[in-house]
Amino acid sequence: MNASSDIVWKSIRGGAIVLLMALLAGCSKDDPQKEDTPELITKVTLTFTPVGGGSAVVVSATDPDGEGVQDIAVDGPVNLNQSTTYVLTIELINGLVAAGQPGYDITEEVEEEGEEHQFFFAWTNNTFSDPAGDGNIDNAADALNYTGGANAKDAAGLNLGLTTTWTTTDVIASGTFRVVLKHQPGTKTNLSGVTVGETDLDITFTINVQ
Amino acid sequence: MRFSISVILILCLAPNFHSWAQQPCDLTIKGRVFADKNGPLMNADVLIPTLSRGVTTDSQGAFVIGDLCPGDYVVEVHYVGYETAVLRIAVPQKDPAEFKMVVESKNLQEVVVQEKLEQVERSANYSVLDGAKLNETAGKSLGESLKALPGVNTIQSGPGIFKPVIHGVHSQRVLILNHGIRQEGQQWGAEHAPEIDPFIASNIVVVKDAGAIKYGTDALGGVIVVNPAPLPEEPGLGGSINTIVQSNGRSGTVSGMLEGGIKKMEGWGWRVQGTAKRAGDYHAADYLLTNTGVKEYDFSAAAGYHSENFGTEIFFSHFQTELGILRGSAVSNLDDLIVATETEPPIGTTDFSYDINPPRQEVKHNLLKVNSHWSRAGGEWRFQYGYQSNFRKEFDIRRGDLSSLPAIDLELRTNTLEVEYETVNASGQLFCFGVNGMYQDNRNVPGTQRIPFIPNYTSFSGGPFVVGKFILKDWTLDVGTRYDVRTYDVVGFDFTNRRYTSNLVFHNVSFSAGVARPLGEHQNIKLNLSSAWRPPHVAELYSLGTHQSAAAIEYGLLLNDSTNEVMDISAVPFQLEQALKAVATYQYNTERVRFEATMYVNTIFNYIYLQPRGVTTNIRGTFPYFRYTQTDALFAGLDAELDYAMNDRFSVNTRLSLLSATDIRNDDYLVFIPANRLEVSMRYQAAKSKLYVEPKINMVAQQYRAPRVITIRDFQEAITSGQDPLGGSTENFDFMEAPPAYLLVGVAVGSSWPVGKGRFDVRLAAENLLNRSYREYTNRLRYYADDIGSNFSFSLKYIF
Repeated sequence: MNASSDIVWKSIRGGAIVLLMALLAGCSKDDPQKEDTPELITKVTLTFTPVGGGSAVVVSATDPDGEGVQDIAVDGPVNLNQSTTYVLTIELINGLVAAGQPGYDITEEVEEEGEEHQFFFAWTNNTFSDPAGDGNIDNAADALNYTGGANAKDAAGLNLGLTTTWTTTDVIASGTFRVVLKHQPGTKTNLSGVTVGETDLDITFTINVQ
Repeated sequence: MRFSISVILILCLAPNFHSWAQQPCDLTIKGRVFADKNGPLMNADVLIPTLSRGVTTDSQGAFVIGDLCPGDYVVEVHYVGYETAVLRIAVPQKDPAEFKMVVESKNLQEVVVQEKLEQVERSANYSVLDGAKLNETAGKSLGESLKALPGVNTIQSGPGIFKPVIHGVHSQRVLILNHGIRQEGQQWGAEHAPEIDPFIASNIVVVKDAGAIKYGTDALGGVIVVNPAPLPEEPGLGGSINTIVQSNGRSGTVSGMLEGGIKKMEGWGWRVQGTAKRAGDYHAADYLLTNTGVKEYDFSAAAGYHSENFGTEIFFSHFQTELGILRGSAVSNLDDLIVATETEPPIGTTDFSYDINPPRQEVKHNLLKVNSHWSRAGGEWRFQYGYQSNFRKEFDIRRGDLSSLPAIDLELRTNTLEVEYETVNASGQLFCFGVNGMYQDNRNVPGTQRIPFIPNYTSFSGGPFVVGKFILKDWTLDVGTRYDVRTYDVVGFDFTNRRYTSNLVFHNVSFSAGVARPLGEHQNIKLNLSSAWRPPHVAELYSLGTHQSAAAIEYGLLLNDSTNEVMDISAVPFQLEQALKAVATYQYNTERVRFEATMYVNTIFNYIYLQPRGVTTNIRGTFPYFRYTQTDALFAGLDAELDYAMNDRFSVNTRLSLLSATDIRNDDYLVFIPANRLEVSMRYQAAKSKLYVEPKINMVAQQYRAPRVITIRDFQEAITSGQDPLGGSTENFDFMEAPPAYLLVGVAVGSSWPVGKGRFDVRLAAENLLNRSYREYTNRLRYYADDIGSNFSFSLKYIF
């Protein structure tokens, strides 16, 4: 497509469009509206608050481009102290929506629709003494403390996990810490595991107990 | 050409309205009946159903029916082993009528269409679905019905969604003409089936040449022409009602048609038609396929006027369907996909239900058409205008109340306008020229709460064409060429929900040249070379995101590899997709044997396809991603069909389709190419009654020409251990091995009998009689579940 042929085509096209538009009066193109995107989660923040006081440990995972090709970025490992009990709260943000607008804070939505959602966790190298084990992703019945706050459970009393309670091991340990949020509309029970429903969130962090 | 088909049909069938009112009832219809080219047919039954009168032919195939009043009569000729031939004959008669009988599986309509097709393109390579064969597919969708033709296959998304595939290519590369109008829906999606009720067709012609010149761009693989029967022109009421029940899906379909002329208004005719279909969950051999139901309601109305030199018609149709997609195929990320593919019966399988829940589709399509023709000394002018509106909503399983909002909500409005002039001289030479234009507006309906998968756009396309036919002794030569322009005016939102706009212009030429000639009395050959091009679809340029029930992200050609930003087309090495297709057909026809073989080679340069590019993570987890890219593809194959009538009662039909498709630029295979297949059916026709029994077997080979396999587990393990699951290669891959070969057995029993002025047809059929578990390579749901199990259907048709 060189420049001169372009001009020819543009004029042909222009003429033809005028002709057709005259014929098809009433067909008008309207400008598209920007959609809200409440399903998109672009930032997940884990806040480990020590029950006995002290400063909270905050780690975030951010998706720079939503459905784009770039991988998510995690701003560092989760560094916890030995033999300490923490309350973990999870915050979910959609950065494509302006702060304060509906759809920005996905945490609220998950809380409201708690009866369709559940967080599952898995970790390696026995980083926690309570719950012991490796988490409930491999087996939904495995130990996990859905306690520590109102949104630990849903309205029906089933596990939700926006808040959970954790006690670290008494030795130095390093491993991974995986968080999965499942959407289980109509299928959530006290035994519905990670294989039920669609995945809304699945991120793995590095964890150090020191 | 569709224009000329209907127009010429109508001209041929146009009655001669003489001053008949004064004449007495002592007139006759005379004629002769011939069996194909094999001479006169003795003892054939010649009937005038409306008068319940009949005679048989003599040794010369001749007959006379006497004591007739002036007027028009529908005359039928019946003979065992042959399709019923029907002619409309005006009395008084000018010349004796000639009936050419065709060995069963063809009928008059087909012959008429073939003759008329040949008026324009005798050298075209095509197959026709009509008459008995079309009736056998009653209750199935258009795409599924077309599987009955050699060389035609489908890409499927479960039991209800079929997209036709001609010689290995589909979607944007197959043009569908419905009542002469280019069908314009959202064809870009592999799970978007054509929005046409097959009951509106009296025959469906599949042209397998590329670049069908009169139709515009896009026909790289071929053209599907859905033809209605001509409108009636004399007073009187006719119609049919067809009911079909099927065990699989516990489905019911009712379709009715009523047509007639108008008293004291010669040449006027009308028709109304409607179909309702309801199916619940289909079942595989061993389990239910939850959420695969269908709800469909269609209707159409037509009216027209025809005289010797002028004709005009108006047609409206509405198509509306709601389709469920297998519940167990709804997945989010790779982990979900592993679970979904390794669980059988599929996840979410429940008891039988007619409910349709997300993931599901709601599609509506309207077509309004007006066409006219004027014959003048030396030639004929034709005009056609069509308006289509297409509404597509796709509902996914989404968080909370979002499930009630469509994830994709598109409105596509299309205007098409065509004008052509055709002149035919006494020796059959034909010359035709014309121009078509199309204006299209695609709009995302706001409120999906998701960044649109494809942008809004308006598009103009159009161009002139010229077609000629030359006859040199035995040779018929058809040549044609056309020039097209397409523009796009695009407005969309990118991955950050930021608005972008672009203007695109594409233009190119298409051509077609074909020759045909008979070889002696029983054989003939056709050879066609054609070239077609296709402007890229907006979906191929700008797609962004995950598609309904596929754990994969798709990116358009114009999205930057690393930044995702929308680029100008001049910034990418884009070249227009263009096909060069050669098709050769050999036919052999005698009274007992009909053989046809079609060979083809189709090279598609700059073939646009989804190439696997890598893996990306987002908050929802890990996803493979695919990017639209271009390569050169070669499709080569053979379709063969053999009908052999051993005697008047037994006949055998064999159909074979072979196809090889390769990416010749990368020396790789393409995905979703139909495997080789063979179908053999036998038919026993009772001597006296209309009873027939027809057992059938379908054999489908495994697709060995398939891309490499990277199982989802391998994929996941590579990611966990920090390796590239694609091994740094952009070779195509599939998550699963192509399913093994399968063999299905079916049988059908049927009969028909006259009742009063009408006729009943009844048919009982079993498909996959042995309830075999199998998976079809070109069914996108093969990853999750088996294909459908045994199906018993009963159909009853009353024609009056």
